[in-house]
Amino acid sequence: MAVPILKQGPVLIATVQDALTDRDLIQLRDDIAARVGILRSTGVVIDVTLLDVLDSFACRTLRGIAETARLRGARTVVAGIQPDVAMSMVQLGLTLGATATALDLEEALEALMGVGEGGIGAYAGS
Amino acid sequence: MPAPEAVRVAIQRDADIVAARQRGREMATAAGISGSDLTLIATAISEVARNILAYAREGEILLSVESRDGRCCLQVIAADEGPGIADVELAMRDGYSTGKSLGLGLPGARRLMDEFDIVSAAGAGTRITMRKWAR
Amino acid sequence: MTDGYNTPPAAQLTDAEVERRRRVFGLTAEDLARIAELRSAVVDHRAEHTAAFFDHLARVDEGGDLFRRPELLDEARRLKEEHMVSLVSGDYGRAYIEQRARLGALFGRARIDMRGFLSAFQMLIGSIVRRVAELHPTDTVAAMDRVVSIRKLLFLDISIIQDVMIAEREQMILNQQEAIRELSTPTLQLRDRLLILPIIGLLDSFRAKQLTENLLRSIRDRRAKVVVMDITGVATVDSKVANHLIQTVAAARLMGAQVIITGLAAEVAQSLVTLGVDLTDLNTVGDLQGGLEEAERLLGLETRRIGSA
Ligand SMILES: Nc1ncnc2c1ncn2[C@@H]1O[C@H](COP(=O)(O)OP(=O)(O)O)[C@@H](O)[C@H]1O
Ligand SMILES: [Mg+2]
Repeated sequence: MAVPILKQGPVLIATVQDALTDRDLIQLRDDIAARVGILRSTGVVIDVTLLDVLDSFACRTLRGIAETARLRGARTVVAGIQPDVAMSMVQLGLTLGATATALDLEEALEALMGVGEGGIGAYAGS
Repeated sequence: MPAPEAVRVAIQRDADIVAARQRGREMATAAGISGSDLTLIATAISEVARNILAYAREGEILLSVESRDGRCCLQVIAADEGPGIADVELAMRDGYSTGKSLGLGLPGARRLMDEFDIVSAAGAGTRITMRKWAR
Repeated sequence: MTDGYNTPPAAQLTDAEVERRRRVFGLTAEDLARIAELRSAVVDHRAEHTAAFFDHLARVDEGGDLFRRPELLDEARRLKEEHMVSLVSGDYGRAYIEQRARLGALFGRARIDMRGFLSAFQMLIGSIVRRVAELHPTDTVAAMDRVVSIRKLLFLDISIIQDVMIAEREQMILNQQEAIRELSTPTLQLRDRLLILPIIGLLDSFRAKQLTENLLRSIRDRRAKVVVMDITGVATVDSKVANHLIQTVAAARLMGAQVIITGLAAEVAQSLVTLGVDLTDLNTVGDLQGGLEEAERLLGLETRRIGSA
């Protein structure tokens, strides 16, 4: 099941479903890489709210997506990592490196675009 | 519907990894495990199942509810007849990988579970037994 | 478990233990035969015996919550009358014990204490003894023999009910301790997006895990962006505790929140570093006041950044 990617202004939004296979993830990476280039997107949000597990493969792929997007001029925010998933990632020893994170999609968009202005503004990542 | 005592999930395609962790969650719930532990278990299963696919091409995940001294646990066995691991100690180290990946699957799974045991040798396949106890 | 509450421990008695209790209280075949003769004195007057028990509880105000909770009181009365019937039924096996245990559990839930229970039970015994004596108005010895026999059984009852009440009480204390533990790691919300988490006491790994879970859920539920975690009240910060803190901070970051740690004494930080603990990922500020200022700065900065975009 491919991950749907939506375009909202300068931002691409990918909403991941719970049963995400490795193939879906790789396809997502390729899709985003292609679209960031074509659409000249400046931001990418990967919404993982529904994801049941974020293991080492998924983590590495997400980092790969963020890195690819960065090289094409877009910033990536991973949104909606759930408490249990965050705990298990930390115990596994996984980090998202420099990739920004946000509580949910709304927060992620707020961080990538100015509030109510639709423009490109703040980037709240650390 | 009462949960089955044991479940076997064949690992042959990457969709099987997703199936294994979903069954794992169900069986863990049947063992009386709840909360964040369910996610920890699903993540550990995901790691060992992926290793089967990546390094042994195929194998299986066996899930069962076991009990000892009146307490229940979920037992996960990941077994394959692949190439095996020549240096298990090395493979258990954080960051060690022959697959150009993060090398956190095995040591991470050990941290996520309460018990972790691995038997493997070059040419002899790999068998990992992990347990998580209900609190 | 049909009635929705825990099976009392005495209800899990093995047959061997049931038998042992009967031996301990010296219940012989002769006793059982005598008790059987008392059917009319006990069963025909069961409402009166039951009333003796509950009226006493009410009179001396030892009923706990019983008289404030009609559903408990009705059930207790019903079980007590049932007790009177089975008292002379001749069958004192598991079913009998389970009935007693169930009433004991109910008393436990109604918060009746041992003092109240024993004094009321005393009244119940008195009421039964009066009716037994009536059966043998002229033969005091015969009356006494029967009283002794039934008292053995009644004392066996007390032993069971007492076990159950103690077990219920222990469970209640455990629950309270759990509640207190939860209370001891409260997350306070000072303003929008800001959570404060003062940690007090000992941080063992169980509690540390619980604390992390609570914090992460609070971050999600209250949409926090910044968390100030004050560890001034933590008894000892060793490398284990420090690693827990580091993990919690990392997990919070994955959820999009930043954690500021306050109250880590400089010499403790120093010794942790000497132990090889990498504190670079921790944003630490001397005291709570400073931490709050830093939090405001982070939040303000964020608003400004977004606002000026
Ligand atoms: N089932 C297996 N069969 C053969 N080799 C394995 C198996 N599982 C793990 N390994 C070996 O152990 C190494 C470490 O595994 P892991 O910790 O999961 O990290 P990664 O998968 O990222 O390499 C792998 O790179 C591989 O060499
Ligand atoms: Mg692996």
